[in-house]
Amino acid sequence: MDIKITQGMTIKEKLGILSDAAKYDVACTSSGVDRKGDGKGIGNATAGGICHSFAADGRCISLLKILFTNECIYDCKYCLNRKSNDVPRASFTPDEVCELTMEFYRRNYIEGLFLSSGILYSPNYTMELIYQTIYQLRTRHNFQGYIHVKAIPGADATLIQKTGMLADRMSVNLELPTAEGLRTLAPNKHRKNILAPMRQIQTGITESRHDLMIYQHAPKFVPAGQSTQMIIGATPESDYQIMAVAENLYQKFDLKRVFYSAFVHVNEDKDLPALPGGPPLLREHRLYQADWLLRFYGFKAEELLNEEKPNFNILLDPKCDWALRHLEYFPMEINRIDYQMMLRIPGIGVKSAQRIVKARRMAKLDFSDLKRIGVVLKRALYFITCNGRMMYQTRIEEDYITRNLLNIKEKLPFQTNGMTYKQLSLFDDKNFDAEPTIIDSQQAAMGQL
Amino acid sequence: MVIIMTMEKTILICEDSIEGVFSGIYEAYARKYVHSQTSLQIGATENYELFAEYKQIAAEEEKAKKVSRTIIREFGEETYLTFCEALATQDLEKGNAIYHVLVDGLRTKNNRIMENFAVADVNKVFELCRYTKNEIQHLKGFLRFQELEKGVLFARIGPRNNILTFLAPHFADRLPNENFIIYDDTRNLCVVHPCQKEWFLMSADNLQEEETRNYSQVEVAYQELFTFFCQKIGIRERKNIALQTQMLPLHFQKYMSEFNDKVYK
Repeated sequence: MDIKITQGMTIKEKLGILSDAAKYDVACTSSGVDRKGDGKGIGNATAGGICHSFAADGRCISLLKILFTNECIYDCKYCLNRKSNDVPRASFTPDEVCELTMEFYRRNYIEGLFLSSGILYSPNYTMELIYQTIYQLRTRHNFQGYIHVKAIPGADATLIQKTGMLADRMSVNLELPTAEGLRTLAPNKHRKNILAPMRQIQTGITESRHDLMIYQHAPKFVPAGQSTQMIIGATPESDYQIMAVAENLYQKFDLKRVFYSAFVHVNEDKDLPALPGGPPLLREHRLYQADWLLRFYGFKAEELLNEEKPNFNILLDPKCDWALRHLEYFPMEINRIDYQMMLRIPGIGVKSAQRIVKARRMAKLDFSDLKRIGVVLKRALYFITCNGRMMYQTRIEEDYITRNLLNIKEKLPFQTNGMTYKQLSLFDDKNFDAEPTIIDSQQAAMGQL
Repeated sequence: MVIIMTMEKTILICEDSIEGVFSGIYEAYARKYVHSQTSLQIGATENYELFAEYKQIAAEEEKAKKVSRTIIREFGEETYLTFCEALATQDLEKGNAIYHVLVDGLRTKNNRIMENFAVADVNKVFELCRYTKNEIQHLKGFLRFQELEKGVLFARIGPRNNILTFLAPHFADRLPNENFIIYDDTRNLCVVHPCQKEWFLMSADNLQEEETRNYSQVEVAYQELFTFFCQKIGIRERKNIALQTQMLPLHFQKYMSEFNDKVYK
């Protein structure tokens, strides 16, 4: 195979370059498919997915997430691997990817493989390489673990079909929420080309399900469903626009997941925002919260946001925010209210709602029972009654409840005030600190750190 | 006799195992104790209660089997599994909670007893079971095999609950062609899976400490590769050690090669 400049690189160097290049991809879950091992090969899969480790940014490491190559013929402005960037380039061979996957999997480091790629020569050429790799994994190594691959927009439909028969999950990156954003930041990519393979995969999955009804052992096409991701904060879309796009993808394309990726500033470009405060993590967090409300809580995008109020509240999560704007529904009586409405009460999640529905068949519930069941009473108490009584004397007033809800510190997955407490230690953390960059060492030498 | 039973509590002392607790439950029924006045206790106490009669109950397989059969018949496999998972914890109240859930379920003829969350004992058993389940789920991911000289995969874990027998089926299904050993550091037990055969549980008395450190030639190289991968995959701009530790608590990190200084140099 004629891969350009990677001859003579060790596998460690390649792994370094190609996992570094893949790290901005967020769609790294191993969930969605239950498969027992066949007793002869290696591997199985569980529907809930398994996290094998956590990186220093607190994100789960579940799959061996790598690019096949970071060579690329495209020049997307937000991407580190764009054609015009002078970064070290490397390409794996299918054998190397198989070896890494198998050896990591045996040692229980990973749940499977996540294979994406820059575009080497052409979309077809790249897709063929990806196909070759997972074909070898599935047949020669008899690997039955999880495989997630990217469908390359612009690749042949037959290639995508063939790949889909071997992979568990496929994804096509939407890249940016709107076609307009795509035009400015990714001039080589077109919305049409991205949606075409997405539609093809969707049709493939539906057909495969029908086949399975007739022939039980028919091979499955993308059994764990398809996902996509978009970059948040690189283009000026509002949260409402983003949620509307996500809702559309769930409804019209049957996506399993939409991932949101806070824009990380890696390239200097006049078309990109500066973001002095770092990646918009809070915004990403709010979008994920709302995404859950869409998928599991029966909310619609226009209930959460609208043209007049196009962005999420910074201080309150979307569910509390909705409840405060719809106080006419509250307080709800826990022993009577139906499941769908119960899901709309702040402080009650899917699991606790299910438990409440089961438990109230056998006994009338009061507040101490709710607490045991797992309801977050400090949030829920303003919105519920048990046997006709509220927990404390509270007013059903927007200002009053807002004030009280704001007093409860929201648990965010990242620090907002910069205050962290930890025990002093003589030794440094061994938590995968990234190596110092050249700039760091220069600053250290100049005494600027 | 009747007067004594209503006055006095009976405390049954059982062995800390599924068999022990189930034998205790069997005896409570066989000897016709008043259930509300009876409790199960695991292991001997230091502080004896006044007005309580202590009875030592020996673990017997036959009795335990009868109780298991009753549980499966009356409440189903799922509840049985829940009880077993709850019994894998270290909690000393577990036997008593299960005993009273069982009594309650049999008395009310409710085969969905584990859904009645308004009962404190049900909640207790549910919490214990969840505690075990979470740890099983964690260790399915966090367990690390190291390849020893003869190609045997060896994993060392230090779980808080006795979960070896719950973990083994998962790995036996996943790695049928491997010889592997999972060693529970805290209980000195291990699960052994020979290639293409059934796994079994055994005491780890014969395990030689230095043999488990005899890595195969490529082992250290792969550990280094994975550690390197973990460093590379984190996004610098999003660094968040607090979140990392929250998701992957330190007592797991202790056993994981990518966090281990001794392996990674």
